[in-house]
Amino acid sequence: MMKSSVARIQTIAKKELVEFVRDWRTIMAILVIPLLMFPLLFILFPLLLASEAAELDAIEVEVIVQGSGVPEDLGIMLENASLNITYEPLTTMETLAEPGEDESRIRNGSIDAVLRLRMNDTVLEYAVLYLSTSEQSNEARSRLFDTLATWEQNETTRRIDAAGLDAEETLNPLRWNGEVTDSDVATQGEQAGMALSLFIPLVLAVWTFSSAIQPSIDMTAGERERGTLEALLGLPCSRLELLMGKWLAVATITGAGVLLQVAGLLFAIGYLATSDVISAPSVSLTAVLFLVLAILLFAIMVVAFELALAMRSHSVKEAGSILGPAVLIILFPALFTQVINLDGVEIYWFAIPVVNVLLALRELLMNRIVYSHVIVWVVSSTVYALGAAYYAARQFKREDIVTSLS
Amino acid sequence: MAPPLLSVHNASKRFGDVVALTSINLDIHEGEIVGLVGSNGAGKTTLLRLLSGVYRPTTGEVVLSNGESVDRAREQLGVVPENTGLYARLTAWENIRYHARMHGIDDQVAWLRTSYFANHLGMTEALGRHTKGFSRGMRQKTALLRALVHAPNVLLLDEPTAGLDVTSARTVRELVRQLGDEGGTVIYSTHQLAEAQRVCNRIIIIHNGEVRADGTPESLLEQTGTTHLEEAYVSLTKDVARARDEDSKPLSRWSSWWRGLFTPKTPGGGDDEE
Repeated sequence: MMKSSVARIQTIAKKELVEFVRDWRTIMAILVIPLLMFPLLFILFPLLLASEAAELDAIEVEVIVQGSGVPEDLGIMLENASLNITYEPLTTMETLAEPGEDESRIRNGSIDAVLRLRMNDTVLEYAVLYLSTSEQSNEARSRLFDTLATWEQNETTRRIDAAGLDAEETLNPLRWNGEVTDSDVATQGEQAGMALSLFIPLVLAVWTFSSAIQPSIDMTAGERERGTLEALLGLPCSRLELLMGKWLAVATITGAGVLLQVAGLLFAIGYLATSDVISAPSVSLTAVLFLVLAILLFAIMVVAFELALAMRSHSVKEAGSILGPAVLIILFPALFTQVINLDGVEIYWFAIPVVNVLLALRELLMNRIVYSHVIVWVVSSTVYALGAAYYAARQFKREDIVTSLS
Repeated sequence: MAPPLLSVHNASKRFGDVVALTSINLDIHEGEIVGLVGSNGAGKTTLLRLLSGVYRPTTGEVVLSNGESVDRAREQLGVVPENTGLYARLTAWENIRYHARMHGIDDQVAWLRTSYFANHLGMTEALGRHTKGFSRGMRQKTALLRALVHAPNVLLLDEPTAGLDVTSARTVRELVRQLGDEGGTVIYSTHQLAEAQRVCNRIIIIHNGEVRADGTPESLLEQTGTTHLEEAYVSLTKDVARARDEDSKPLSRWSSWWRGLFTPKTPGGGDDEE
């Protein structure tokens, strides 16, 4: 008749998982969305960028060119630059950049930009008036600048040639030789690891924390609110077994969510992104094993911490109002960790909670295994995970977890 | 006389400043159907939670016949809490099987036992349905089946007929009587004296955390010199009942102050009860 402790923990975890699986909304939020997030992002983002670029190219912009004596070649270039141009005389003004009366015309959208030109001896002075908060006006300014830059380059070359000099030598006395990409000794995989190390730890940390919130609350404060906890506490299982069963269930759900998210990201990198954008990181098997260990220790700590906080709460609402903002405990260190220089990083960083795991993930994604760092983050993470588990166990042993708030 | 199945020795329970139970001494014997009768907040639920091992007594002890503390031998108890505590996304059978597995009962044995009692309660058809749409009566019956699945020595029922329609309440009472006839031991909390009189062969009147009377309905009448149990109950519980729920946790000072900021005074100028 007596059942082993392990069997009871498994029974609790299994029941929690069955209940979880039967709620399709939670499945969508915690499993399907993480899986599809990156593939969709990798598909939709380039499409969005391409569509925006095409839209900008198709825009017709109204430009006024003010001034007399516009060089003939510049005039031709302006006519060919997808601009609807109206010519006006230039009124007398101290500096060309003063908007004057043209400000109202740009603001009311009747024109998108004004190009002012004035010859001052051998120099062509100019100013472009525009409205930086208008996309159309910015596009007009951009097209004007492109045209002016091309004319300037042509004019510079012409003047150097006229002076009897070689324009190429004069303008480029220092010249790169060979392919720029050949000069980096880091492999493409190492470069990908570097790029991903700035991104994946943040995603993993935030997602581990945030995906554990809902199941943690449901299995603790939710049980308390629905009145199912009392019947459970009357069963022949210890509170520690109850905690471990629930921890196992939340950790399984969170782990599945994180794994699916990483799988989605790797799929997107491998099959949806072009290799000049990003490629798969080259990480050794040892680094992968340490990566898994780091995430596991982090998950133990985070899930135990969240279960404890949720169990302290008297209702789902109270638990949500505590655990929602608590994501900042992860987010701020995660953002902070991104700017720490890993070359010569001080060892004590690997002992600070949350920061230690995030730095470890960064190092490992770059295939750097520094054993002194590994020892410090493994020991400190284990201590923090045990501390969180102890705190959770204390909360589960409280008698008032079945009482209501008066 | 056989030793009691369950004994409470000088047990009291405090929640901070609130004394929920004071010096309780009880012996529950095999075959007894014991009615715990008292008003809301009298201490019935706290006593049942002490008996089921959910609470530990502040002083005293609750032990089984072998001298073992109840919280170490919960497999001998079957508990139906007041709010039934069913999981809505599981079927009635899955709810029952979950508890059976936690007690180490084989699924097939659990099914045979559940089918037997489900037949008595008219619940056989509903066992495969999710409990989300269950009526209060069906929930109560499912919780009863769940509590009986491991053949407990003592069944603890907290207000099992509260909120039930007449027919469902009658079915539950009949089952309890049947269990008593078969030699089972049931502790049955209710605030309805008439119900206790109909079901139980022993009544314990509890008031403001104290046992005011304990005996058969006849002995209570004799003890109080009354002719009706209702009169006996009134004479035993003359002092004003406490207002607060027996085990509710008071708000912290900060929470109480904050809530007070946004709580207008009543027209008569009375303060909030906290």
